[in-house]
Amino acid sequence: MSVRLVAIALGGLFGFAISWGQFTDPDRIREMLLLEDAYLYVMMGTAVAVGFVGVRALRRMGTRALVTGEPVSWTTSGVERRHLVGAAIFGVGWAVTDACPAPIAGQLAQGTLWSLFTIAGVAIGIVLFLRGEERRLARPATPRASAPSQARPLASAQTP
Amino acid sequence: MKRVSDLLVTRPPAFVLGAVLGLIVVAVLATLNQRLGVLGGYSAVVERLSGRAPSFGWRASFLLGVFGGSLLFSALAGGSTVGAGYGWLTRTFTGDWQVLVVGVLLLLGGVLIGYGAKAAGGCTSGNGICGTALGSPASFAATATFMATAIAVTFAIDSLIT
Repeated sequence: MSVRLVAIALGGLFGFAISWGQFTDPDRIREMLLLEDAYLYVMMGTAVAVGFVGVRALRRMGTRALVTGEPVSWTTSGVERRHLVGAAIFGVGWAVTDACPAPIAGQLAQGTLWSLFTIAGVAIGIVLFLRGEERRLARPATPRASAPSQARPLASAQTP
Repeated sequence: MKRVSDLLVTRPPAFVLGAVLGLIVVAVLATLNQRLGVLGGYSAVVERLSGRAPSFGWRASFLLGVFGGSLLFSALAGGSTVGAGYGWLTRTFTGDWQVLVVGVLLLLGGVLIGYGAKAAGGCTSGNGICGTALGSPASFAATATFMATAIAVTFAIDSLIT
């Protein structure tokens, strides 16, 4: 079974599910963010609980990934400033557009052409971040910025 | 087919949908040994097209799947579940300049989503569902931050436009 086919199938299930949950509708998201509709919060809480138990069951059983054959494992990250600042920036974008990356793709699939603007923005935002990281990583070459603390790994490599 | 569309026009119970999404997190790990995240799909496409990565990778395929799954839903439901126009933006900004104003706001919002989620290490799915399920402190902190920010900004926008 190819990695690509499995990824498309699981992504397809994910896209179908969020569309059925009407997360592609900006008005629905807005109702949830205005705390008029608890759907998002119940959904997220259940998803995290099911995922939390499920992934630990996999690890406890010593499962190997069906397609790649690797032992199932993951690493976690401690809280850094970038997580908080980045999340706050993301939250503003979410509130303005009433959409996040998965629903944006779903909107386009359902014929909402407004989402083309949001998708273009997401791509620009990613490019700006990558360029910033590339500039930051290039900086240790100069004597003034050669402190070891600045030689952090590229954050993009950790992005799920 | 009519019965299928009748079923799909109403949202499933939130806990059912949540359980399905949680199981998808488990399935991505069980098959690919990877962390689910949709922003990573956009990033994979950008990195491939800008020559930063040699291939699209599985994340771009997952994003393609999200698109395809939504398309299938739309076909089975007999139409889009996205409301007419684009939410508060097209209701607030009308007239000749609507496309420009709403387009610019969506573009800027998208920039914040793309930049912010990259810096935070994930979006609603990557941090909010998957990272938290894996027990990552960074994901819990990021999720609390973007939820609080999004709620606060939505209330602020609401007070300005009503």
